[in-house]
Amino acid sequence: MKTGHCSCGQVTFQSEGPWRDIISCHCEECRRTTGHFWAATAVPTEKLEITNNAGLKWFRASDFATRGFCTGCGASLFFRMDEKDYTAIGAGCVDDTSDLKMVEEVFIHEKGDYYPLSEGLTHSEGFSYAWKGEDETQ
Amino acid sequence: MNVKGKCECGAVRFEAEDVRETVHFCHCSQCRRTSGHQWAATRADNDKFRFISDETLKWYASSEIAKRGFCGTCGSSLFYQVNGADHIGIAAGCIDEPTGLVGGKHIFTASKGDYYDIADGLPQVKD
Repeated sequence: MKTGHCSCGQVTFQSEGPWRDIISCHCEECRRTTGHFWAATAVPTEKLEITNNAGLKWFRASDFATRGFCTGCGASLFFRMDEKDYTAIGAGCVDDTSDLKMVEEVFIHEKGDYYPLSEGLTHSEGFSYAWKGEDETQ
Repeated sequence: MNVKGKCECGAVRFEAEDVRETVHFCHCSQCRRTSGHQWAATRADNDKFRFISDETLKWYASSEIAKRGFCGTCGSSLFYQVNGADHIGIAAGCIDEPTGLVGGKHIFTASKGDYYDIADGLPQVKD
């Protein structure tokens, strides 16, 4: 069981997983929302238990996805695509990431102009297989 | 250097003159919780900074000494300001490109996440 929360504590969550390794997203939407770029693990949505949703607000970020943030502190917690059965979770909001590792960077063609990508990671211009869900990796 | 920027939904818009050219990447626990990963910012003097639109802007007192500004509509983490300071930190990711900014240094690396490395060669300050 892993737990997590936003900065102010008005959103808390937990899940038994399975927890996906971490993928950073450099799309403009993630960059504006986070103020830099986002990095997320993910769990099956049915396995995600939001234990305090007092501050949680879902923002319709595009015609296929929503983002969950805290109205108390602005934390960028969740990203969920309408037709997918998992929820991406900001790695910085997870209490224990010791068994997770950064493995991929996606939407690299939209990256910011003031920083380099990380060497040694898989790079993609779109969603990775992991973002699409395990059912599409075959 | 002059910049313009906005949040993800466009409700918060700003412009600034003479911003610092270098971006500081912050790995403190607050920046990691609010951004979901890490935060990156330049800064401007208050008298060189102007809101074009700020109706949805909310301020969160993140500690006894500082506050963070975010958009109440889309949640974008836009600003950081020490209480009473004459300057404001501005998220690099919210600045329109080309930003004209370059990497400066990593700060609060003692609090960085354990799932990523810092390997861009920039100076690292532990706290």
